[in-house]
Amino acid sequence: MPGNRTKGFCASAVALALCAVLAGCGGSGESAGGGKVVLRYTWWGNPDRAERTERAVALFEQQHPDVDVTTSFSGYDAYKQKLATQAAGGDAPDVMQLDYRQIDQYASGGVLLDLARQKSVLRTSEIDPGLLATGRVDDVQYAIPQGRGTETVAYDVRTWKKSGVPLPGKSWTWSQWADTMRALAKKTGKPGATDPGQSEDAFEVWLRGQGKALYTKDGGLGFTAADLTRWWTFTDELRREGAVSPAEQTTQLDGSVENTPLGRGTSVTDANWDAPASGFVALIPTGIALAPVPSGEDGTPGQYFKPSMFLGVSARTGHPKEAAQLVDFMINDREAAKILGASRGIPVNETIRAEIGPQLKDFDKTIAGFQASLEGKLKDPPQAPPSGDNALQSTFQRDYDQVSYARMSPREAAENYVTEAKAELRS
Amino acid sequence: MTTTAIPPEARNAPAAAPKRRPQREREGAAWVFLSPWVLGAIVLTLLPMAVSLYLSFTDYDLFSPPKWVGLRNYVQMFTEDPRYWRSVVTTLMYVLVAVPLQLALALVVALALKGMKRGKGFYRSAFYAPSLLGASMSIALVWRAVFNDGGTVDNLLGTGGWVNKPGWALLAVALLTAWQFGAPMVIFLAGLQQIPAELYEAAAVDGAGKWRQFLSVTVPMLSPVLFFNLVLQTIQAFQVFTPAFAVSAGKGGPADSTLVYTMYLYDRGFVASHMGYASAMAWVLLLVIGIVTAVLFRTSRSWVFYASEGDR
Repeated sequence: MPGNRTKGFCASAVALALCAVLAGCGGSGESAGGGKVVLRYTWWGNPDRAERTERAVALFEQQHPDVDVTTSFSGYDAYKQKLATQAAGGDAPDVMQLDYRQIDQYASGGVLLDLARQKSVLRTSEIDPGLLATGRVDDVQYAIPQGRGTETVAYDVRTWKKSGVPLPGKSWTWSQWADTMRALAKKTGKPGATDPGQSEDAFEVWLRGQGKALYTKDGGLGFTAADLTRWWTFTDELRREGAVSPAEQTTQLDGSVENTPLGRGTSVTDANWDAPASGFVALIPTGIALAPVPSGEDGTPGQYFKPSMFLGVSARTGHPKEAAQLVDFMINDREAAKILGASRGIPVNETIRAEIGPQLKDFDKTIAGFQASLEGKLKDPPQAPPSGDNALQSTFQRDYDQVSYARMSPREAAENYVTEAKAELRS
Repeated sequence: MTTTAIPPEARNAPAAAPKRRPQREREGAAWVFLSPWVLGAIVLTLLPMAVSLYLSFTDYDLFSPPKWVGLRNYVQMFTEDPRYWRSVVTTLMYVLVAVPLQLALALVVALALKGMKRGKGFYRSAFYAPSLLGASMSIALVWRAVFNDGGTVDNLLGTGGWVNKPGWALLAVALLTAWQFGAPMVIFLAGLQQIPAELYEAAAVDGAGKWRQFLSVTVPMLSPVLFFNLVLQTIQAFQVFTPAFAVSAGKGGPADSTLVYTMYLYDRGFVASHMGYASAMAWVLLLVIGIVTAVLFRTSRSWVFYASEGDR
């Protein structure tokens, strides 16, 4: 048999090579911790948040000498993709920071641990029940909200005052807002606001102001093409009048404050979440102030307190108890809260919020004051968006691009969106 | 030290006894030495390809296990997805603009450099540099800034930002590729230097002007090199990603005007988490590139001239 020996040789060579590969893998395993429990903790954010997080984690390690925490962070988009790949490969980090839009997908994909089982080390009694519920899917607590944020209209105080248009009060409706933007555009010669038509978030606030919602309880679409047509007709007209930013500027939005018209000095206001709005301070040193987002015509508020981000634990972690301890520390520890400040939004632990509030400085203080002014006035947040929403957020922006470049009518674009959204939510 | 340690008879052994090992044994040794590469090809290339082919028949969102859906992804792609067709048209437009533009630039610069006596090295490096840098994201971002509104081009020509105008954005992407003509230029230059000077002399004696010489001597003599560059750049152009990604800030905008095929593939796979659909798109792209390349080879028979054939 001429082939026999070759085959045998071949097989042994393959086996040998595999052994080498496996041995190589084994060598770099987790055993390096020296008997310590090793936890991997990842988040997204900027260097400031990273520095504060590192200090908090060091304190945690001091209190738990048997635990070693390795951390890593990156920008949101990169983080989102990396985490998705890790989770798909069954290699999610022990403790991970999650966005509202990721909760449903990760929970139903079996990536996250049921945190109720770690009750003994993870206290949630001091978190507002409505807020805590946002981390729940099918009545299982998969994630704990870490900070609280809400939408706001950030504005350039000096330009607004110079225009002579009365400054915004404690509340306004969408039609009052539109009139104000028109007046600002007329007086200052530049658009009053970023075109809100591209923003799914702004649309959601507008919908909620009419008692509706983006999604139904069972994860279906909560509005019709007619609703979306009305919204886009409203913003389309404002854009044509020059009251909000032109298409060329709107299309450049990428989530950073630098690329908003307000950040570039070409508009007077911008709707944003309150924590990232702190970025405007550096861009407009003459002064930034916050106003509420417009409410429905009958005064129904559309904005809500949203969990700015969550912490979840991997379902596959080898150390559920220690991971839950770390989550508890990040959310409930007084010293940790002092270090972290408002870097992830205003703390969710009520006692800590009351204690830390007066100590906040600069823009953190502005945000805290703004949130306090809304306390008790807003409705409960919606439940976590269904998994398809992750993609729909960009679909929304893209379909509105077609409207703002006058390639589609608001009705055509809205019908397009609803068709795609229904397909996305089904799959 | 080591030489003295070897017994003399052993040193002489190969020369003294040139006993050939049996064929089979030598084959075995070959396999041992080849094994890292064979393994690499299987584990890193063939296996992922097979998995991707399998995934293209499934619905896979990265989290739940893939669900077998048969040909649904392919059917959906061809019959129910207008954005898919938009991305196909955008890619074809891009290929038709970027490839000829890039090759023309490369040829013109190569011709200019060929006749140059001094500073050739400097210019060659200078023109090649964008190709080295161009693959990087940073250059693409600079490009975006240059063509943005308020950018250099806007200030010079007063055209507004190209990257924010649906009618212009794709051109900005094509220009970025065309600008990276270094690799085909170097190949053209090598090809030009292979053309015997006697041919030009003979043509000149026959009264051919520069233009006539170019058409009757340079082009036919260069046609194999031209063909090589054409095939290579076309294949690359079909897979364009980085410039479109950077210029549109990862969105394929404005209004889907820079949504090239691979951008849409990326969008389906990593933004919308439809890995099965993205895999199906990748296989269709492979097939299309294969067909286009085959067509190019077929047409080459009528216009590519190999000197060796002429001898016959």
